Amino acid sequence: MSTHTSAELPGLGQAAFVAVSIQLLSAAFLYLILKAEGGWQVIGLLALLGAGFYLIEKRPQIADVVTASFSRVPVVALITAVAVVLLFPFAVGNNTYVLHLLIVAQLYAVLALALNFQLGSANIPNFATGASYGIGAYVSALLAINFGLSFWLTLPAAAIAATLFGFLIGIPSMRTRDTYLALVTIAFGVVVQQLLNNFTWTGGPNGLVGIPAPSLFGHSFASPLVVFGWKLPSQANFYYLSALLVVVAIITAHRLHSSRIGLAWNALRADEIAARAQGINVAWFKVLAFAVDAFLAAFAGTIYAFYVSYISPDNFTFLVSVTIMTMVIVGGMDNIFGVIVGAFLLTILPEKLRAFSDYRLLFFGIVIIAFLMIRPQGLFPQRIRSYGESR
Amino acid sequence: MAELFVQQLVNWVTLGCIYALLAIGFSLIFGVLNVIHFSHGDVAMTSPFIALAAAQALAIAIGVSGPVWLTVATCIAVFAVGLIGVILDKVVIRRFRDAPAMMALVATVALGIVIRELIRHLYPQGSNPHAFPRLASGVALEIAGVQVGWFTLLVVSLTLVLVVLLFAFLRLTPLGLRIRAASEDRIVARMMGIRDTRVFRATFFVASAIGAIAGLLFASYAGVTRFDFGVMAGLLGFSAAVIGGLGSMPGAILGGLIIAGIEVLAQTFVPDGASYRLVFVFLLVIGVLLFRPEGLLGRPVMVKV
Repeated sequence: MSTHTSAELPGLGQAAFVAVSIQLLSAAFLYLILKAEGGWQVIGLLALLGAGFYLIEKRPQIADVVTASFSRVPVVALITAVAVVLLFPFAVGNNTYVLHLLIVAQLYAVLALALNFQLGSANIPNFATGASYGIGAYVSALLAINFGLSFWLTLPAAAIAATLFGFLIGIPSMRTRDTYLALVTIAFGVVVQQLLNNFTWTGGPNGLVGIPAPSLFGHSFASPLVVFGWKLPSQANFYYLSALLVVVAIITAHRLHSSRIGLAWNALRADEIAARAQGINVAWFKVLAFAVDAFLAAFAGTIYAFYVSYISPDNFTFLVSVTIMTMVIVGGMDNIFGVIVGAFLLTILPEKLRAFSDYRLLFFGIVIIAFLMIRPQGLFPQRIRSYGESR
Repeated sequence: MAELFVQQLVNWVTLGCIYALLAIGFSLIFGVLNVIHFSHGDVAMTSPFIALAAAQALAIAIGVSGPVWLTVATCIAVFAVGLIGVILDKVVIRRFRDAPAMMALVATVALGIVIRELIRHLYPQGSNPHAFPRLASGVALEIAGVQVGWFTLLVVSLTLVLVVLLFAFLRLTPLGLRIRAASEDRIVARMMGIRDTRVFRATFFVASAIGAIAGLLFASYAGVTRFDFGVMAGLLGFSAAVIGGLGSMPGAILGGLIIAGIEVLAQTFVPDGASYRLVFVFLLVIGVLLFRPEGLLGRPVMVKV
């Protein structure tokens, strides 16, 4: 792989051009699909996306050139990415629906990245990510409503609570595996959701209402954001907050992937017995994967609770966990970028299928099944680990 | 007290038999294909709708109705659901046979969504609950002052007959032998000249038809059926199969009885237990798997290098 890319290393200018234009094109595509209304526009854009992937499938050197360009000019690529993320709300303007979709997509991206530690890196099934997400949301909301704690204090509290829950689910994972482990996580998820649905202090099926909006340096997140005379709707606050969380999640994921922990998880995925024979503490790394997943999911849950200011047990069902799982599989397991794309696609797609009104769930199910049959390795398949300087 | 006890015993046996029938399907399919067919619950719960539709079609076409024709309609439903299972296997599930376990799980969850939505759209006013008649009514006998209905007897005897038939089928017929061989080792079975497509077809037909009977009994027990009953039926049936030990028929029956038992116990003895019953059921599932990771009657898997 390394010799292959170095042989046709693109020049600096060319690399910068490719990196910037690819990012701008992706942003433009995202903008178009978010703005698209009506079935035909959506189908057309999806067909375009499919054609793009078909092209990459047929001509793998395109993907090679793109990755080589990005690693040639990392700073340029990074600046473009930051600029795109920062400026996107300005392009969207006053369309709060589009901003809402973006926020939810980003939160799901965090959840999918969280699950990716387990499903992608270590191949441990976990159907309780939705429950960790819910625990994060409920703990922070309860603290804010009952004790008047600020958003910034509830964030770590929720994360700690969910991490403890993650350790708790992790314990049976030391003994069970595969389908049996999947059922244990499903059971945990159902228990949490049912308890939230039945306790009186969690508001029962009605959930919690009136979660106060967070504020930063005296600026309430419920009020519009004014930047250099530009007035952005209040959702923009949460857009930037969740974007920040996505960045934190990406950095965490990247650091963990290149650390000994990530390596240990990959070893677990490849062969558990071999990993054990190499002296890897299998049980500990499994439990750790659950804890990290719950930790990140709690952050997403907290932001969600404060953003919509109303949560109910219906937001954290078994199907939510399955959706997160689907995002990881569709995007490509153990591929950070792929997982994010999967999360965006699967958040936006059902919304856009509203054009088919009542039939959208049916379409969604069929699309998922068809996708798993046609491209089981995901949109962006796992990359082979590269070691040393050849990255 | 004795009255309450007997009453709950009756409830337990009825529900336990229904869950056991659902769990058998999960266990059978897993044993042969090594795939979790998560939409099995949804497939099973299509049967009440098909039965209702068939009964109406019979009433309109030939102008007949009544208990006898309802039985005919349920038989049509059972057969139709068996065919649905075969078709789903051919179109979708077979392709995930050699895929990672989670792939098949997610795909069949999506399949469950598709089935539920199809019921909702194809059946007139599919979003609403539909009343489902009792397949047997009236009091059969009285034990300690508790009236035991014909329905309970029907459920119990039907379950017993089905289990005996299934065991006979798996043990005594050539096809059953092939199914067992394929579940033991698919590749060796192929080498022995067993066509696995046929084995899968038979397995899916049998499992789905048994599931359909469970679905009919469940709807009849609840008195009502709804397009999304399949989610819970699937979760409970799957749990029963897993805590009994996947691939083990006696395990599936035991699991079904245990799940129903904890549900009935929670409803009877815990204040507000009806709303907490799923909590108890799934805590029990976690507890069982914590101490017996391969299920109660499952074979412990020895991992070899």
